[in-house]
Amino acid sequence: MAESPPNVRLSLANTPENVVLVREMLSGIAQAIDLDGSDLNDARIAVTEACNNVVLHAYEGEEGPLEVEVYLTPRTLSVLVRDHGVGIPGEPESPELDAGGLGLHVIQTLAHGVEFSDGGDGGTEVWMEFAAANAGSLALPPEGRPGVPTLALPGAPTTTICIGPIGLARTILPRLVIALAARAHFSTDRISDAQMLADALVAHAHGAVSGDKLSIDVVIEPRDLELHISPLHVGRAQQLIGESELDGLGRVIEKLTDRHEVVAAGSHETLTLGLSDPR
Amino acid sequence: MVSAVTITPGLRFDCGTTDDLDQLFAHWQGDRNPAAREALVRRFMPLTRSLARRYDRSSEPFDDLLQVASVGLLKALDRFDPERGHSFASFAVPTILGEMRRYFRDCGWSVHVPRGDQERALKVRDAQEMLTNEHGHSPTVSQLAQYLELDTEQVIDALQATQAYEALSLDAPRPGAQDDSSITYGDGMGHEDERYELVELDATLVAALEHVPARERAMLRMRFIEELTQTEIAARVGISQMQVSRLLRRSLDQLRALTRDASEV
Repeated sequence: MAESPPNVRLSLANTPENVVLVREMLSGIAQAIDLDGSDLNDARIAVTEACNNVVLHAYEGEEGPLEVEVYLTPRTLSVLVRDHGVGIPGEPESPELDAGGLGLHVIQTLAHGVEFSDGGDGGTEVWMEFAAANAGSLALPPEGRPGVPTLALPGAPTTTICIGPIGLARTILPRLVIALAARAHFSTDRISDAQMLADALVAHAHGAVSGDKLSIDVVIEPRDLELHISPLHVGRAQQLIGESELDGLGRVIEKLTDRHEVVAAGSHETLTLGLSDPR
Repeated sequence: MVSAVTITPGLRFDCGTTDDLDQLFAHWQGDRNPAAREALVRRFMPLTRSLARRYDRSSEPFDDLLQVASVGLLKALDRFDPERGHSFASFAVPTILGEMRRYFRDCGWSVHVPRGDQERALKVRDAQEMLTNEHGHSPTVSQLAQYLELDTEQVIDALQATQAYEALSLDAPRPGAQDDSSITYGDGMGHEDERYELVELDATLVAALEHVPARERAMLRMRFIEELTQTEIAARVGISQMQVSRLLRRSLDQLRALTRDASEV
């Protein structure tokens, strides 16, 4: 089990479209650590099973949190899928293999190591380990991992992305942003802009954020996407925007967004970037 | 290609209860009774189909996936030992998944861009252009998904993939163009460059942008100085919006690297 904070954490609602985010995140990880296509397929299918279980069974039809964490070690990729719902639905050895039971069999077959446990508060944790020869270069030392909770925001967003080291976000964040912008009904034109914004954030976030990690709360509205980046050192939000200036082109972050706002909260601040696609 | 599992009508065995299952396995594994095997196949085909569906997001046609899974089922029927006390299903799942994983490994999944994915990305690109022309603005992912009868995740993956596909030769010369590598889709933009001479006199402009190829430089200016949309740039340059997207991302990366290098000197 995990001894230190994860490299990636997605805090989501247990909706089917959020499983797409989890799958895109895994593809981004695979690209970062050069994971073989068939190994990625195994991981995606196993993790999808665990997430689908949370979507379908954990909250008995109600909405509730779906948390997915990824831990990289020098030779492994581990994924923890957590819910706070009703617990494991079926025993893995149930003879007739209902939907839940079949999923557990699939996970057990595709993951190199599996552990099921209750999450302490009645929920379920499924820990899956996969072989990943090249994961080492991006595994974080414990102190650098994204353990800091994000700042609470009004309106309690249900989609939070946390990635560290920031270099790992280079292949993950643009993918997630495509899926998020697609959900906000953006046109492909504006989706591409959102993708360029994600690139710019990853390129310039270092130095502005506390620790080598990027935490983003996402608020999705029809044709509008809002990214809350936190915690930033005081004064660094403007600096982050300033650093996105490229020769002769201006501040790329400013030009790609429709609005931005800096909110100070104690010793940190949050940068809010809003994109819309009015067409 | 593997042969399909055929199920003939007129089964002589019922396959309802666990007792019946034991009997069927005895008839198949002991007497090699083909009707018993068919009854077992019919009984476990829903399980097999359900497992094949797990791989349905890959680029392989579902019928092929189902055939591979069916081969796994047949192997499991041959190898299952009822004496061990486990359910057949718990034995069959790893056997069927094992068959599918082997199939994908043999298909060369280590290749970064499977052929089916490439084809899908091209379809998405073409549909994107078609729908843009039709509506006057670029489509949403769900419009693309609906038009191509794909799910939104497949479209998202295709949008992502087009960013990586040098192999698709998006930058290839237009059909009929002279054999000159400088004449590509970016041709016809020469007059645009002149207009930007004024901008180039701006004192803020330093060398980095000069290192980006002229076509990309012009596109960057259209997006960030003129603030055209990517669709407008695509129309002006005569390439697809997705290609504009890829070139802009790539040249921004290039610019950042150049700027970083310059500041480190």
